[in-house]
Amino acid sequence: MRDSLFGLVLGRLASSLITLLLVSLVIFAITSLLPGDTAQQVLGQFATPEQVEALRTQLGLDQPPLLRYWQWLSGFATGDLGRSASNGMDVIQLVNDRLPNSLLLAAITTVISVPVALIMGIAAAMRRGGVLDRTLNLITLSMVAVPEFLVATLAVLIFAVQLGWLPALSYVSTVDSLGAFMKVYAMPVLTLCSVLIAQMARMTRAALIDQLDSAYIEMARLKGVPPMRRVLRHALPNAIGPIANAVALSLSYLLGGVIIVETIFNYPGIASLMVDAVSNRDLALVQACAMIFCGAYLLLVMLADLCAILSNPRLRNR
Amino acid sequence: MSDTNTIPAAKGERQHYVTTGSHLPMVVPKQRNRSGLQLTRWIGLSLFSFWLLVALFGPLLAPYPMSAFVSEQIYAGASTSHLLGTDYMGRDMLSRMLTGARYTVGLALVAALLSSLVGAGFGMLTVLLPYWLEESIRRIFDTLISIPSKMMALVMVSAFGTSIPLLILAAVLSYAPGAFRIAHSLAKNLATLEYVQVARTRGEGRLYIATVEIFPNMIQPILTDMGMRFVFIVLLLSGMSFLGLGVQPPVADLGSLVRENIGGLSQGALALIAPALAIGSLTVGANLLIDSLSNSRDNQKE
Amino acid sequence: MTRETKPDDLFISPEQSMQVYNAMQRGVSRREAMKVIGAAGVFAAAAGAFPSISSAWAANSENAPPQYGGRIRVAAHSTSTMDTLDPALGATAIDYARAYMFYNGLTQYDEDLIPQPCLAESFENTDNGSHWIFTLRQGVTFHDGKPLTSQDVIFSIMRHKDPATGSKVVSMVDQIESIRALDDQRVEFTLSSPNIELPSILAVSHLVIVADGTTDFSNGIGTGAFKCQEFTPGVRSVGVRNENYWRDGYPYLDAIEMVGISDEPSRVNALLSGDVHMVNNVSGNSAERMKTNDSYQVKATNSGNYTDLVMRFDQQPTSRPEFREAMKYLFDREQIKRVALRGYGEIANDQPIISSSPYYFDGLPQREYDPERAASLLAKAGLAGATVPIVASPAAASSEDMAVLLQQSAAQAGLNLNINRVPSDGYWSNHWMKHPLGFGNINPRPTANILLSQFFLSNAAWNEAGWHNEQFDQLVIASRSEPDEATRKQMYADMQTMIHEEGGIGIPVFLSDLEGYDARIGGMDRTVPLGSFMGYMFAEHIWWKG
Repeated sequence: MRDSLFGLVLGRLASSLITLLLVSLVIFAITSLLPGDTAQQVLGQFATPEQVEALRTQLGLDQPPLLRYWQWLSGFATGDLGRSASNGMDVIQLVNDRLPNSLLLAAITTVISVPVALIMGIAAAMRRGGVLDRTLNLITLSMVAVPEFLVATLAVLIFAVQLGWLPALSYVSTVDSLGAFMKVYAMPVLTLCSVLIAQMARMTRAALIDQLDSAYIEMARLKGVPPMRRVLRHALPNAIGPIANAVALSLSYLLGGVIIVETIFNYPGIASLMVDAVSNRDLALVQACAMIFCGAYLLLVMLADLCAILSNPRLRNR
Repeated sequence: MSDTNTIPAAKGERQHYVTTGSHLPMVVPKQRNRSGLQLTRWIGLSLFSFWLLVALFGPLLAPYPMSAFVSEQIYAGASTSHLLGTDYMGRDMLSRMLTGARYTVGLALVAALLSSLVGAGFGMLTVLLPYWLEESIRRIFDTLISIPSKMMALVMVSAFGTSIPLLILAAVLSYAPGAFRIAHSLAKNLATLEYVQVARTRGEGRLYIATVEIFPNMIQPILTDMGMRFVFIVLLLSGMSFLGLGVQPPVADLGSLVRENIGGLSQGALALIAPALAIGSLTVGANLLIDSLSNSRDNQKE
Repeated sequence: MTRETKPDDLFISPEQSMQVYNAMQRGVSRREAMKVIGAAGVFAAAAGAFPSISSAWAANSENAPPQYGGRIRVAAHSTSTMDTLDPALGATAIDYARAYMFYNGLTQYDEDLIPQPCLAESFENTDNGSHWIFTLRQGVTFHDGKPLTSQDVIFSIMRHKDPATGSKVVSMVDQIESIRALDDQRVEFTLSSPNIELPSILAVSHLVIVADGTTDFSNGIGTGAFKCQEFTPGVRSVGVRNENYWRDGYPYLDAIEMVGISDEPSRVNALLSGDVHMVNNVSGNSAERMKTNDSYQVKATNSGNYTDLVMRFDQQPTSRPEFREAMKYLFDREQIKRVALRGYGEIANDQPIISSSPYYFDGLPQREYDPERAASLLAKAGLAGATVPIVASPAAASSEDMAVLLQQSAAQAGLNLNINRVPSDGYWSNHWMKHPLGFGNINPRPTANILLSQFFLSNAAWNEAGWHNEQFDQLVIASRSEPDEATRKQMYADMQTMIHEEGGIGIPVFLSDLEGYDARIGGMDRTVPLGSFMGYMFAEHIWWKG
């Protein structure tokens, strides 16, 4: 079994590499289609043609696209992510400045949202059709239905402007105590949780209910296994696969999808880095960010599948 | 209650998940309480059809042109001349909502339909194709799904400018891969079931198997999935308008109406609350409706 | 005020400065103003003469002396990984403000945009503006301890002429033919054609002085009032008080942190929650909201920033003079100011010079909204009932709102404007000046001549409308070396009339810069009409009363 797991991981890693390669091609192709190039973007409204030419040569933008892609790719393969065209800094350094922030925010949000969502989902499934289920259903539906930027701005208005409890901006660098840390992260995490919890809770409920409908649970019920035990010992292990997959999907959102939260709370994360990179036509940086988002996604999905296999004896023995 | 009945083998089989590979699980939410089902269905149906009607006829009913500056007062409350008050520039909010709903409902509906169509179509097709082709198509969709949807939209809008078809395309590119994964894993699962195998041994053609044996059993989870996708697309559009990349002024979808009036949040402006509630009732309505529809099909079949 | 410059240090006394100031207010040239105090030809002042006086006024008006110490946080409206401490590349308010924080120019603007001595303690021109000698202040050191010399000046200015630098002000530097060091403290500039405004040009934030041979600007090593302690592009910068600052008594604050918050509601909320103490680019609606709270102040500065309708001479239908004139009559300027700017602006008259400029020509009749006249002009052009596309973008501030308003008033004259909105990304390189009918946005320039040279000369790279007028060109060039103030004023009046009547741009309103700040910030009544943040030079002039 260990060998087959190992083989699975290896296979998935190999196919992930192919996916990443494809993603980089897609991103490169679209970025090449963007109107205007880095040189124009860097020099701005009042650039002279000579300056644009000079900068193009300097950045190698006068070379054919395929050659540029190859240069990027061979650099990437050897661990050289290249230089940001817009400010001359090493891409790796720019990413290093931001990625830990993004990961930290994602981690805190995960730690809070996953258990809450699971509990909500399981509770709703157990009381299917009951008052609790309907209430939770309505709550999660409404949470999904409010635009994120409205949640965030409303939170700022209430907790920062009116009550003055929390800072309106999330400065990573000003954190020096646990209290300050919690204050800084409270609102971004709250906003993200409100989106993610709803999604994950609904998926959990659905996956669990599907198991509860199956024949083996029916058998357990007829054998007189108490409801709590039926759900937690019988249905849940079998539902872990789909739940893990849903959680993985939701969590992959936490790197690339948090642009709105990063903007409103001025949180220096990797999504705003990518937005800057796109608007500056900063190819190396766009690629690096895309690789991170896609890599994270692929990793999460792989972990989810591993979870599913390990939790489900039937799949394990296949 | 139906779940005390013996569950048909095919159904029982269908409900375990294929989780190897990178397939997404199919998810079929169910509700069992019949009276509750009726109620939620009616709520969902009335909310959704209300917005559908607004999308169809709203612009005809608008008392003012949506971009006309009709009042000196900004963020005005409800009055007889402006039932929903005025926005941040003194335009009639009711007219803007009536016109804006068409963009939100229309865009999201078209994009959700297309996503499901593309996703389900390919999902079904791939099961019948040779392995290498199936793998390549899966790989392509996997590539698309691993790019965050807002990033995808951002890059596309930067490249091609904002227009309605482009917004739809961006949404489809972001959401079709998810629909594909669900449809694919469903179809793959169904293809291994006895009755499909029986059809195969009967010598039925691939097309017959796909349309007659597989497709009818996929409709319901695909519909459910489409409901969720509809909601996600509504929210993606409002997120896009936050980044200034959504539907462009002076026309505005519901999301951009929320966005452009967010300055009125501190005074609790109606111009902000009205479109926010509109998005809420539209998405909640769509979800309730889809939930109850898929449940009723379930019940009918049993 | 104990650390203020003592009055007997001053080459020009406060009284004399008041005389100069008052003279300037009346529209007198610098040359004449200097005659008032008998220092014609050479303009010299000891360290800090002007700033100390202005802050003294500020202190008087606020009835409180400046205080020392304190740390504030300032949020600008845009930030990205493109943020730079290389002054040559500065592109947004946050870059300009940082440039003035960490570096100094040879000269600096006062509240009337008159160039005052800064790193140069004096400057003079030997003929009518072709040769200039700048004498550097003694004992100025960079943040790393290196003393300031002539070589630094030559390097700092001449690097802009290298296309590889990517300088944003290459058009202003082009006229500088060469700079040579007369000795360690004196440099001589030679211009390709005379320009009495060179000291004004040298005060822009791009032309501040960096150390000779600098290639890595990320440390912000300059001579400025603040030292760069931290700089992360797109995130923040922290400047701490430069204890060795050459200007005695400055700065007041211990530290200034600068961040960018691009979302306007978030920026305003950050101010209202006390997380930041000063923000720029506030909307008119937010300004009204802030005014209801005594803890915050709103400051509106009219610096001459304008968003203009560009009508190309080389494309149809804008090449027809009647069409262009009709468009100018279709601006309902009052409505644009009221609706699009919420009143925070000044009605303009299709020419780019604001009323506070000494060269403003007030004899020009205001063009009014007149759809009937426009209709008859359109009929004459054969364009009655025509449909014409018009390009607007968030890149050109307020242009979308203006386009919608223009669309409505054009309908009154039977003209259909089809608004084509394009994203800000790539707007300036792909759309600006490329469509028959579109919008541009021009930031304030330090002098009228720079403005006219850059945007209206026939051969200017950014001659927005592609307007050609030889007589106008001659006037622009001649005014640069015209010694007589009255003649010069007349020249500017003629130029404004020409642009107003036949130019290819319509300027409906000037946009005010709106800033909000914490009421505990002192010194804010100083205004430099060049942009937000006191013409980006706020750092050393403000203090914290908290």
